[in-house]
Amino acid sequence: MLSKQRRYDSLVRALHGDIYRYAYWLCGDKHIAEDITQETFLRAWRSLESLKDNKAAKAWLITILRRENARRFERKKFDYSDVEQETLEDSFSVSTEENAEQHLIRRQIAKLEVEYREPLILQVIGGFSGEEIADILSLNRNTVMTRLFRARNQLKDLLDEPQVRGQSNG
Amino acid sequence: MDELKFRRQAYENPNSDEADFIAAMQGSEDRKAFVNDLKQLDNQLEQAFKVPVPEGLEAKLLLNQQLHQHQQQRRKTGFTLALVASVAFIAGISFTLLRIAPVDLNQHALAHVYHEDAAMTSNEQIGYEQLNVQLASMSQSGSGHFTQQPGRVLYSTYCDFQGVKSLHLVMQGEQGKVTVFIVPAEERMQMQQQFADQRYQGLGFETDNTYMLLVGENQQDLSNIKSEIKQSFI
Repeated sequence: MLSKQRRYDSLVRALHGDIYRYAYWLCGDKHIAEDITQETFLRAWRSLESLKDNKAAKAWLITILRRENARRFERKKFDYSDVEQETLEDSFSVSTEENAEQHLIRRQIAKLEVEYREPLILQVIGGFSGEEIADILSLNRNTVMTRLFRARNQLKDLLDEPQVRGQSNG
Repeated sequence: MDELKFRRQAYENPNSDEADFIAAMQGSEDRKAFVNDLKQLDNQLEQAFKVPVPEGLEAKLLLNQQLHQHQQQRRKTGFTLALVASVAFIAGISFTLLRIAPVDLNQHALAHVYHEDAAMTSNEQIGYEQLNVQLASMSQSGSGHFTQQPGRVLYSTYCDFQGVKSLHLVMQGEQGKVTVFIVPAEERMQMQQQFADQRYQGLGFETDNTYMLLVGENQQDLSNIKSEIKQSFI
């Protein structure tokens, strides 16, 4: 029992940040992300025995998290229907200029289709390889690579666009 | 590696360490710059992805798990409790059913007389006021009480007629002693007017919502005492 508790503690300590962020980028809401994170870790606790390899912990948790997120839509289909991905906003405080730039990037990330956003997060902050991402998302590797390509392509286009609005007809 | 494939691979993963990708990149300054550009984008993305984690999330996650475990333990305790409660419930039901089961007053009266020998040897002199006090404390007996002394009462005590509090009297007849049971009437009670076994004669009647059961050896004594009681008991 003690070792299970220790294992869980270290899992929480090491991965709660990544899991929370993944949840945030999946659902686009700070509070829902926190709820999903709670659910995910609780479920992880219940089935901690099934995690054989500690190295696989992150992928394992993300799999649970994605299932929890999907369940959210089954449960409350209309509750969050107003949270359109387009309107997903960086609700974190913007005070400095550096943050302003980050704010902009976050807005662009939020504009990405979730199908493109997910593999990108897995690659950039999860550090997963193409095969691993394919595994987590139950896709084949080629699809994953295509989505990564399109994700960066779109982001680059969006970020290279002139940021000043309303002057396109100048 | 042609340009298209190279660019595509760079978009897929600018940090790729595949040998042919690295080699293709080294071949041209343009390509290097292109990849660096994408790496720069990745750095920006990485920073952007790292939204601040709510304060205390880690502690919340740990607490949540502890509470969950606590609840599980309580649920186990709850199960045991439910089991015990069920057993108690079944026991209660059986007991109640037992009490609802019909009571054969005649058999019970006879058995009671045999059982309580002490009553027959008692030689007290009990006044009807005392009997009334005892009657009054029998909740279901209604207002039944004696208006005058029904004869000589040698013995009086409470007894239990299968869960019904009753009064057990021994009275002196001309020939011998007669046992009288005063039992508050209940639906489930069954009584015959005449009953007997090898030794005793029995006589039962109902008066004012109360069953009277008389048990004695002599039929004449029984009917005398019956009429005495009928006169004095309201």
